[in-house]
Amino acid sequence: MLQIIADGLIIGSIVSLGAIGLTLTFSILRFANFGHGELLAWGAYLAFSALAAFAALGWNAGGSAATFAPLSFGWPLVAAVLVAALLTALLALALDTLLFKRLRLHGSITLVIASFGAALAVRNLLLFFYGGIPRYYSSDLQIAIAIVPRSVAGGLRITPDQLFVLGLTAVTVLALHLFLRRSVLGRAMRATADNRELARVAGIDPERMLRVAWLLGGALAAMAGVFAGLTVQLRPTLGLDLLLPLFAAVILGGIGSVGGAVVGGLVVGLAESAAVATIGAEWRAAAAFVVLTVMLLLRPNGLFGDSGNRGGRA
Amino acid sequence: MNALAIDRLEAGYEPGLPIVRGASLAVAAGEIVAVLGPNGAGKSTLVKAAAGLVPVSGGSVRLNGRDITHAAAHRLVHEGLAFVPQTDNVFARLTVAENLELAAAIVVRARSDREARLAPLYAMFPDLERQRRLSAGRLSGGQRQMLAVARALIARPSVLMLDEPSAGLSPKLVGQVFDKLAEVRASGVTLVLVEQNVKAALALADRGVVLVEGRERLVAPAAELRGDARIADLYLGRA
Repeated sequence: MLQIIADGLIIGSIVSLGAIGLTLTFSILRFANFGHGELLAWGAYLAFSALAAFAALGWNAGGSAATFAPLSFGWPLVAAVLVAALLTALLALALDTLLFKRLRLHGSITLVIASFGAALAVRNLLLFFYGGIPRYYSSDLQIAIAIVPRSVAGGLRITPDQLFVLGLTAVTVLALHLFLRRSVLGRAMRATADNRELARVAGIDPERMLRVAWLLGGALAAMAGVFAGLTVQLRPTLGLDLLLPLFAAVILGGIGSVGGAVVGGLVVGLAESAAVATIGAEWRAAAAFVVLTVMLLLRPNGLFGDSGNRGGRA
Repeated sequence: MNALAIDRLEAGYEPGLPIVRGASLAVAAGEIVAVLGPNGAGKSTLVKAAAGLVPVSGGSVRLNGRDITHAAAHRLVHEGLAFVPQTDNVFARLTVAENLELAAAIVVRARSDREARLAPLYAMFPDLERQRRLSAGRLSGGQRQMLAVARALIARPSVLMLDEPSAGLSPKLVGQVFDKLAEVRASGVTLVLVEQNVKAALALADRGVVLVEGRERLVAPAAELRGDARIADLYLGRA
């Protein structure tokens, strides 16, 4: 039981980070970007390349001496994540500039179809550059630590990397919450997502908000991708595999709600973990699908989305 | 020099289908001008075009002598033109305080200057100060309208345009909103009011402009228009 919860929270952390970026761009751009999963994949692989580049430049003392024991990584991966976040953010912006911006006047259906095409192209580019063999950030084997003995609710074993993922996700979500609530730029983004025309009237440049949304979404996707690569493996279908859980999380939480995306991600993660433990690993994808379908049937606006009564007047 | 000068404006949402067809409007500094007319006359489109929200295909808009005809909508608040839309005129998912603080932050950099902008607004709208932590979407219609006006005033505009501020409000609330607008004018702001409530608008305004099918058909002092039968004729399509 505890293990299911812990595993679910770890999957959920990865989904949450990806879903935050997706919900931000969804609410500001008003279309469902089916290419968002590929940003996670590219982020993971760009970090992999950055690590390799650092090693080639001699910045890796080698072996466990270079790691923050008991974690499997050290400063090189931290730097690689930062590089990957920046490059993925730029990739997201490039996709918008080259593709989505030119199609904005054609409506959201066109943008959605275009995003499918972009996802296909970007995923195959990844396959072209990196090949199909799964890769790993570290060849060292991490041993799970028994935090809770088996006698208590089945016990709980977790690796240090997994604990790190949980912790850093929590810190990132908190930082993002503070940014969106307290900073001028964060409030301007929320305002643009709330009412784009009023935002223009109020003096907010919507194009600038779009660019920030893409950059932030891309950076968060890179983090999520690296966490997925760290806790599981890097593979070209990483993004495609996470696409359904990402959308399930966004719909569950309510489009535009960052807190909702976090809750949604954790719920989807727990659902997947429970499905794997109880029904079978082959039903993992179905868990997210069921969550998505149930939400669309019961409350399409999501847990924290609008109830649809915003425009009422006295 | 007029505070706002609209000259033979052509504007519409679809190219080749103008809703505003050559309308002109000159508003002197410190004036309140009511823009009246039947449904579909182009009243809202006129002010939205001036606010940069509707494409302009002909004519010009000048603000204190400066040509703002094709200026980006988000630049106009910095030029001194503020606009309060008819509906969805507050950021519903932000609190009252966040709505106002954001408006202040957009026009002034220094935190202390922002506080200086907010204090007189809260003094002018004490109800808003009491409800500063409330989500704007949960305000009543009258309070929401006050917030929309307060938000627009933070930028200290020289001209404030409002699109049907009385829409959806009870007569008592209309009176409260219009009393507030009189206070706003007294503070030196020029007002352009698009209104369906002819009586309330002409009671507040100095001048009235009646728009029909995208052009002004009647321009006169409000006092003259109050008893003028021609307005009814224009509304009912008899003139």
